[in-house]
Amino acid sequence: MMVNKKGLLAAGAVAVAASLALAGCSGASSSKSGSSDAASSTLTVWVDADRAAVLKDAAAAFTKESGVTVKLVQKDFGKIQEQFIAQVPTGKGPDVTIAAHDWLGNFVGNGVVQPVELGDTAKDFQKVAVTAMSVEGKTYGVPYSIENIALLRNTALAPTAPATYDDMIAAGTAAGTEFPYLVQVGPESDPYHLYPFQTSFGAPVFGTNADGSYNAGDLSIGNAGGEAYAAWLAKEGAAGHLSVNVTGDIAKEKFNAGASPFLITGPWNVPDAQKAGINVAVDPIPSAGGETAQPFVGVQGFVVSAKSKNAIAANEFLVNYIGSEKVQTELYKVGGRAPALTSAFEAASADPITAGFGAVAAKAVPMPSIPQMGKVWQFWGVTEAAIISGQGDPTALWQKMTADIQTAIK
Amino acid sequence: MTHPGTERDEAQVRESKRSRQAARIAEAASAGVKTLLVKIFLLGIVDAISVYALFVLLLRADWVVFGAVLLVTLIVNWIYFSKQKLPAKYLTPGLIFLLIFQIFVVGYSGYIAFTNYGTGHNSTKQDAINALIVSSQQRVPDSATYKLTVVEQLGNYSFLVTEPDGTVSLGGTDAPLRPVTDATLDATGKAVALPGYASLKFNDIVGNQEKIAALSVPLSDDPNDGTLRTPDGSKAYLYLSDLVYDEAAGTMTDTKANTVYADNGKTGSFVAADGTELLPGWKVEVGLANFAKAFGSESIRGPLISVTLWTFAFAFLSVLTTFGLGLFLAIVFNDLRMRGRNVYRVVLILPYAFPAFLSALVWAGMLNPQFGFVNQVLFGGADIPWLTNEWLAKFSIIFVNLWLGFPYMFLVCTGALQSIPDEIQEAATVDGARPFQVFRLIKLPLLLVSVAPLLISSFAFNFNNFNLIYMLTNGGPRDVTAGVNVGSTDILISMVYKVAFVGANRDYGLASAFSIIIFLLVALVSVISFKQTKALEELN
Amino acid sequence: MRIAAPETSDLYIPTKRPFNFGRWFSRTGWRHLVGAIMVVFSAFPLLYVLSASLHPGGTLITANGLFSQVDLGSYQTLFNLPQQPYAAWYGNTLLIGGITSLCTVFLGALAAYSFSRMRFVGRRPGLLMLVLVQMFPQLLAVVAIFLLLNGISDIFPAIGLDSQVGLIMVYLGGALGVNTYLMYGFFNTVPASIDEAAKIDGAGHARIFFTIILRLVAPILAVVGLLSFVGTTNEFVIASIVLITPEKQTLAVGLYQFVSQEFSSNYSVFAAGAVLAALPVMALFLWLQKYIVGGLTAGSVK
Repeated sequence: MMVNKKGLLAAGAVAVAASLALAGCSGASSSKSGSSDAASSTLTVWVDADRAAVLKDAAAAFTKESGVTVKLVQKDFGKIQEQFIAQVPTGKGPDVTIAAHDWLGNFVGNGVVQPVELGDTAKDFQKVAVTAMSVEGKTYGVPYSIENIALLRNTALAPTAPATYDDMIAAGTAAGTEFPYLVQVGPESDPYHLYPFQTSFGAPVFGTNADGSYNAGDLSIGNAGGEAYAAWLAKEGAAGHLSVNVTGDIAKEKFNAGASPFLITGPWNVPDAQKAGINVAVDPIPSAGGETAQPFVGVQGFVVSAKSKNAIAANEFLVNYIGSEKVQTELYKVGGRAPALTSAFEAASADPITAGFGAVAAKAVPMPSIPQMGKVWQFWGVTEAAIISGQGDPTALWQKMTADIQTAIK
Repeated sequence: MTHPGTERDEAQVRESKRSRQAARIAEAASAGVKTLLVKIFLLGIVDAISVYALFVLLLRADWVVFGAVLLVTLIVNWIYFSKQKLPAKYLTPGLIFLLIFQIFVVGYSGYIAFTNYGTGHNSTKQDAINALIVSSQQRVPDSATYKLTVVEQLGNYSFLVTEPDGTVSLGGTDAPLRPVTDATLDATGKAVALPGYASLKFNDIVGNQEKIAALSVPLSDDPNDGTLRTPDGSKAYLYLSDLVYDEAAGTMTDTKANTVYADNGKTGSFVAADGTELLPGWKVEVGLANFAKAFGSESIRGPLISVTLWTFAFAFLSVLTTFGLGLFLAIVFNDLRMRGRNVYRVVLILPYAFPAFLSALVWAGMLNPQFGFVNQVLFGGADIPWLTNEWLAKFSIIFVNLWLGFPYMFLVCTGALQSIPDEIQEAATVDGARPFQVFRLIKLPLLLVSVAPLLISSFAFNFNNFNLIYMLTNGGPRDVTAGVNVGSTDILISMVYKVAFVGANRDYGLASAFSIIIFLLVALVSVISFKQTKALEELN
Repeated sequence: MRIAAPETSDLYIPTKRPFNFGRWFSRTGWRHLVGAIMVVFSAFPLLYVLSASLHPGGTLITANGLFSQVDLGSYQTLFNLPQQPYAAWYGNTLLIGGITSLCTVFLGALAAYSFSRMRFVGRRPGLLMLVLVQMFPQLLAVVAIFLLLNGISDIFPAIGLDSQVGLIMVYLGGALGVNTYLMYGFFNTVPASIDEAAKIDGAGHARIFFTIILRLVAPILAVVGLLSFVGTTNEFVIASIVLITPEKQTLAVGLYQFVSQEFSSNYSVFAAGAVLAALPVMALFLWLQKYIVGGLTAGSVK
């Protein structure tokens, strides 16, 4: 009997293998042939688990109206960018995917997305959302949410919003807690969370064109404001207000434990803080350098594959269903991220938390989606960390960083 | 323990029992007909599947693959019907999976090393042209929204549009818009039908959306006036395209700036005379360019020597420490007199049962200088920079890797120890050898024969242990004044990631070239080590 | 076939002589000391995971100390997420891990047997190749495997993308490799005289392999099976590219979603999932332990 067993397995293996060998070799070539026409009445949409539940209803409504089946494919949000770029050219990619706006530069550079015509509905969205979803003046996606960081205040420890950075330190010290305020830094720093302080010194990473898009040729991070910011980092590092030991998890834990009246963070940490019994208010981030502290805004939306054979159905689904107030409000409810549609946002602003983040967003700037930005992070964070830890002269380190970025993005 | 004499007798008894058992089995083995039938039946299934696959491939005219399947099927049949080819019968099942899923991956990586595959070059030339044309369509600023009804006549689609001022016009791909008067209007003043034409409902539009989305209706005879296109089948907008593709010349022309971009045949993209490149480009073969880049780039050459040394040190020390601890524990808990061994063993394999990146996160937290358990509790609040000092970070990496890796070695050694007869130890102990001598002179060499290959492969694994480095220190701490994105705990493979995958940019070609170089390095070390183990094996 | 002697001596020693701490310590006591130290070393970091799993909304760091809160909420959450079918993932993981490790052991043992017992051209280089192939950096494995399964899907959709069979096949690509070498080494310690005896008695090669050799090498089969099971259940990169439908995914893929959200990582639920996911590995080890070290006959073979 044993002999037979071996034969059986061997045979099974061979069977499988025989069919695979061929498929294996065909992989590269057959992928070019693309998907068959049979799929043309099905719209495949990549979406992450949280949003999938909401889209299910919108998809059902769309199917009922148009006869087009919507297939929702659940994807890990962090993996979408890479997989979309890898799979669209094979013809097996989705028609539509959820995306963060800062992926767009990469998507356009790889030719995997096509523009979406918002038409007259463009004005119904918040301006920053549409700007963020655009590359070189063309809109590539229907935005659905806006998110940014702001100042979270424990109202029990600090009854009023601080007007300036010094006010915040004073209020924090007066509260007598372990930390006057908290912001996540980490061993390689966190330029995203520190960016509002940087902009308050008038040193954005890139200058902007007339239409609000970023100009990669104008690297403004190394200007006089940047140097002042570097000196400020060193000073605050030495004073112990900023520490590379404070990671995101620690900042969150400490704030939730009442160890500080202030935390610079996004809406994603609000529910846990409230669950921990903290009464929170959302305020603008106080300015350290005198100018307005502008954080980055991240916009999420849906984009259409360049190789979609369902462009019209996709466009219809995005503009008239995803862009509807009902769906935008539903999406807001699951993620807590402020809706991109103005009417939905106004409705959501009844919640003071959302209104607080929204007020900061109104003055904020989109995170650059230009490909050059990808080369900035690798120098930016470690330099900030080195300055905060007091390793060398802040100005020299900052200028060295600027020069390195300049070389890298050339 | 029992007297050696009785032990030997027992062994003899067992030996003879064993041969009796073998004899019984041998008798039963003579019934070969049934076996043959089953073999034929199973091979029949294999062949049936193969024939199906061949048929599919035949229809697709995919001859290369067709040939491959045919060849494999024939070889498999030949092997299993042959009276000879005994080793092949045992090796084929595993080998086939190996060939398809491992060799293909290696081969594919090898091929990619000779292309420019990566960000901006990830598809075919045709895809690149389409993407360029589509994204160069620019809606004319402040132009009107046209209300649209898509109409069909004799299988050709046309646009029936209503301008904001109420003018109704009809146009098709080759027929610029012309006013029509006999259209039927709905309550909003939108033209919805035209005699002689069938109006398409949304369902019809969706059914033919590829054609309709591709429709582009010239506004007038002058192409510079732009074309109408529809994104949704119910509205049309006026677009102008900056880029025009000249199929005959194979060039892209930017009509606004009047620049001609030509395919130079080398970079896989359209390039202007002044060197400006249009992206996306497409995938082309670039010969040895990636290898030249790998050796030529400053960010690699500068730290190469120190990174290579550290990679070797890290891989070697990781193997040494994990094997040392694993073996020690395997021996400690291999004593039958010890109670509760099972409990200890189960707890010891715990680090192996949890996802490594979760553990790395925990360790990173525990090693936090200010808030971590290690400094706060074990070192009484000291401020030891475990992950941010160059040498301490190296130590921490090896230490955490020891934690992650010793259960594997413990398991392997426990298994391998079972092949070493207790009699050897007993005999040696009786001869007056000290326990450590017994271990060093007898057990260890025996153990190494079966475990040495695993040590070599563990070395290779750690040589490429990107995940650990990435999760614990991300290569840091980094000397920011060096201007290179490589830190003191970066190993070769993590350095490759940083050089080839910057931000969202992926240079797969370069990464593959590096993979090949690293592979050659590891393979060389391994082959030399294997030569040593061969000597070891023959010693036995 | 069991070795009776050590067991009797185990019972025998204490009853005969009075308890002597020094002797006890030098014989087995120090082993318990080593064991206790190692238990702390291996298990302590994992207490953070356990603590995090009992603290909904908490982080892995739990700067406020371990077990500041004990709440099974995260475990309940795990089984009540319609979009994240944890129970299905659990079943899939057991199934895929079980089948893969069984097949790996089987294919590997077949190969190890032929390498150990037969002499053929290319035997040495073949063994070496098996190990070398797996040393190739897997930077592009994901892209290559996607293309491969994409191609397979065109012909046999049932075993291509988004199929668990397809994933198992990809894993079986690694069945021959360093594990084969481990088994090969072990097979070599089984004396050829046993084969010879059986052969003289008329047994065929397959019969010798299945009824005699496989039993003698059970410890290493169990070890390889366990290694393969753990490797498969923790494998994440390939599984995430092959399995698309949530109901088909494995624990490694599904759990990772909890922490890979852009900002809002849910460590507590993730930790709870990881704690439960570690149980089958431990159960399997407990079960296999008797094959690995349970007084098997390997020692008596020589």
